[in-house]
Amino acid sequence: MNNRLYWALPLITGFFMIGIWYAIKWTNDLPHYILPSPDEIIRAGFAEKDILFKAARETIVGAVIGFLSAGSIGFALALILSSSPWIKASLYPWVLFLQMIPVIVMVPIFVLWLGPGLPSVAIITFMIGFFPIVANTTQGLISTEKNMVDLFTLYNASKLQEVFFLRVPYALPYFLTGLKIAASLAVIGALTGEIFAGSASGSGGLGFMVVVYNSQLKIPELFATAIVACALGFIFVSIVLVLSWYLLRHWHESVAQKDR
Amino acid sequence: MIKESTQLSFENVGKSYGRGKAVIEAFDLNIFHGEFVSLIGPSGCGKSTILKLVAGLTPITEGELKVDNKSPENAREDMAYIFQEATLLPWLTVTNNIQVPLRLLHWRKSKREEIANRLIELVGLSSVKDYYPRQLSGGMQMRVSIARALTLSPKILLLDEPFGALDEMARDHLNEELLAIRAQEDWTALFVTHSVPEAIFLSSRIIILSANPGRLYKTIAIDFPYPRKPELRESLEYQQAVADVSHHLRSVER
Repeated sequence: MNNRLYWALPLITGFFMIGIWYAIKWTNDLPHYILPSPDEIIRAGFAEKDILFKAARETIVGAVIGFLSAGSIGFALALILSSSPWIKASLYPWVLFLQMIPVIVMVPIFVLWLGPGLPSVAIITFMIGFFPIVANTTQGLISTEKNMVDLFTLYNASKLQEVFFLRVPYALPYFLTGLKIAASLAVIGALTGEIFAGSASGSGGLGFMVVVYNSQLKIPELFATAIVACALGFIFVSIVLVLSWYLLRHWHESVAQKDR
Repeated sequence: MIKESTQLSFENVGKSYGRGKAVIEAFDLNIFHGEFVSLIGPSGCGKSTILKLVAGLTPITEGELKVDNKSPENAREDMAYIFQEATLLPWLTVTNNIQVPLRLLHWRKSKREEIANRLIELVGLSSVKDYYPRQLSGGMQMRVSIARALTLSPKILLLDEPFGALDEMARDHLNEELLAIRAQEDWTALFVTHSVPEAIFLSSRIIILSANPGRLYKTIAIDFPYPRKPELRESLEYQQAVADVSHHLRSVER
């Protein structure tokens, strides 16, 4: 496929879908509070742009704090889990068990403990991104090739050298896969948190605006909020993809270009 | 070459994993300084296990095994191991892969690079020293692995079917290069292979093992003088040696 088609095809399908959207709206004569048209959504978005911009900034803060702590604490826990089969056997089943708890059930509990606002939102984002990172990174750390470990043993490498010189780089692609999943969930997590944890100060993030717009039946504005959230998620994932490409570009098949 | 000093001695060595049947039983062998000894035998004869025992990667369960008069674990700095796969770290370039053993010992960068450069030259990889392993062919990767094994100037080289995954051409070339390198470096080799012609071309002595459990079946001295040239493969004496060893191998397999 040539480069121009590569960009043109998604645009064409996009226009096609917008066409279907208008067709459904007009043939069924749907009012804007059931299905707003794309132009109504865009107009609503522009009219509310100051509020949405401010809300997006709050959401970003919650998402970033939650995401970064999920990345660092998740990585640290994976290191601990992989350090000995005893630790892994005693802890890992509980990690899996905790993962099974729907985050949504935990939300009111966190709000009860921490009150509404940023801390609750950040913790909920953390919860949602944490497990994929732990699971992936641990898998990478313990699946290091046996021969490579033997090689390090033969050179009398210390346990620390084995971990940081061999196991951690080996697990890097696994960790980055976990980060990618966490990044795609970070904005969703922050929004979920905001819907329940609302705001402590009267203004709030995008999730808070969902609650406000919904109560005011401002449906085009609700759609506009969804688009902003979508864009945020896209930016998050893109940043991780760039980071992943940068770190693995020379050596990992998933991103290295086929140059021979 | 001095042939008197014993470098590796197996005395009635036995090995079994857990409570399982013995993999190796009553194994006696002395290997002298400067020898190139190949282990050959049917699958299940424990030839790879013997290398692991020498390297101290797994303990012997019977008898006595001495490497330079030390226990295997204490003789590790005298040995280097070359695996069946190149076992390179994919995130490091050729030169950095070769420096891994030196980095683990905290050698200075300038010294590390000096040694790496000399070895890269020795194995003929100067033009690709900053490439990553995935950019290299199987044969080139194996050369990097050999260079890495030589960084600490080992006295004993343990090679576990290092050329088994290569095509015949690449294998023949690397056999010749290995002997050329050995002419410059002074190490004793213990080499595991499935290939009779390869074993004969490289070795001063071939050990045939029988399987289930692994036992020493026969020792055959290969007397062609070193340095050996590729033309050796075309000689009648060489063909005869291949036929002889193959014959013995067949009688063990039966």
